[in-house]
Amino acid sequence: MEPFKHPGFYRVGRWFDLRRRKAGMWAYALNRITGIGLVVYLYLHLVVLSLLLGGPGSWNAFVSLARSPLVLVLDVILFAGALIHGLNGVRVALTSFSRGVRVQKGFFSVVMVVTVVTLAFVALKVFGG
Amino acid sequence: MDNPFAQEPRASSSWLWQVITGIGLLFLLGLHLVAQHFLVKGGLRDYAEVVTYLRNPLVLVLEVLFLVCVTTHAMLGVRAILQDFGLSARVEQRLSRGLTGVGILTVAYSLLLLWVIIH
Amino acid sequence: MLDVTLEIFRYKPGEEPHYDTFAVQVAETAYVIDALDEAWALYDHSLTFRHACHHSSCGSCALRINGIEKLACITRMTDVWDGVHPIRLDPLRNFPIVSDLVVDVSGFFQRMSASHMQITRDAEPILPVSVDKPALGVQAEAISLPENLTRFNRFENCIECGICMSACPTMATDEKFFGPAGLAAIYRACQQTDDPTETAHLLALADGEHGVWRCHSAFECIEACPQAVDPAGKIMALRQELIARRFKKSGR
Repeated sequence: MEPFKHPGFYRVGRWFDLRRRKAGMWAYALNRITGIGLVVYLYLHLVVLSLLLGGPGSWNAFVSLARSPLVLVLDVILFAGALIHGLNGVRVALTSFSRGVRVQKGFFSVVMVVTVVTLAFVALKVFGG
Repeated sequence: MDNPFAQEPRASSSWLWQVITGIGLLFLLGLHLVAQHFLVKGGLRDYAEVVTYLRNPLVLVLEVLFLVCVTTHAMLGVRAILQDFGLSARVEQRLSRGLTGVGILTVAYSLLLLWVIIH
Repeated sequence: MLDVTLEIFRYKPGEEPHYDTFAVQVAETAYVIDALDEAWALYDHSLTFRHACHHSSCGSCALRINGIEKLACITRMTDVWDGVHPIRLDPLRNFPIVSDLVVDVSGFFQRMSASHMQITRDAEPILPVSVDKPALGVQAEAISLPENLTRFNRFENCIECGICMSACPTMATDEKFFGPAGLAAIYRACQQTDDPTETAHLLALADGEHGVWRCHSAFECIEACPQAVDPAGKIMALRQELIARRFKKSGR
């Protein structure tokens, strides 16, 4: 008479199951996704920077590639991830010291509004030159 | 009676460091992005500019500080996610050691990179 | 009357989990537990679900209605039925499923008793069983209270329904996590003891990798709790206390 348990991979899905969940859960999932993304980027960044070891030739070739529109779009996405993770990090840290637990959902809205506004400026700067 | 939930207390250190490096990153990452990309025409320095820029001692100190903060924050973050799997104490210990190693290697490689670029 | 379709999670040991649908008719004023009762009474006596008090005191009937944790006894059908789609009923998440909507809650109660919760409150004492109800066949002496307690009651608002553990994303993968209700109970137990040794013991229990530091601030426990216990708020208060004590100690 074994009780039924969902398999591990199914339960991991619950970290990101946002159906009918509230803002706090969205913040949690976004923080986790952006966090994983930023770690992957950190190592990607190090790989790219290793091109500097190849001297001016390889680095300057990369610089011209990095100015292509596709890479710039990826840059803006990266920036969005960093903004969300950083600003939500402030929210998580403050609530962890019992500051603003009751207003955490509004706090998350502020995080997202600031993210969108900042991102708009960044996108203008990146694409406007 | 044995308490099945008894834990090794004082686990706040990793969390505390996550907050401290997080606050550090708010400034250091902001600085890194603005100085490395926003103040530069075209968003990226060419090779000669990179070398000159990194030879500035203040820049170097801040970049190294940024490197240490970001690696620590990343390793603690990965550790936090992996610990959510409720691993055994032994695996958890190995995990912490492993991630410490990866972090040290990351910082060491980056420092080497900086050294080679400057010289 | 409402003509509603229920889509109920079914599982019996040895069988594959699946959903069964039941068309039931209930009054406009009915609660979800009434619809479940209808399905059981009219169609399938093998359908299992927990229920007892029918007024949000016992916490037995906690389940997921359209994915979200609720008490079936206080959730009105009109609040969860959109008039078109079936209402989906699932057992709580993050507990082993014993049969249909019944989950094994022993892990929850292990945590509650590990928190050393002293069960006292002056406002609503449970009096010894009255001798004027001999029909129950229970004598007043039958209740033995813990030492030093003259009367007892359970922990504040928490009805031990397990809803917070189902709503918590950390709980989904970490069976070692002390969980929202357990940590809230530790906080409450700290509040009502004057004994520094007991406080230190309780705080040590909360101060582990799988204690308060495992919470990742999704705050779903606060959203789901039917009794406003504010578990995440208590977890954060414990964090604050633990950090404060740590710096006070090292500052000396």
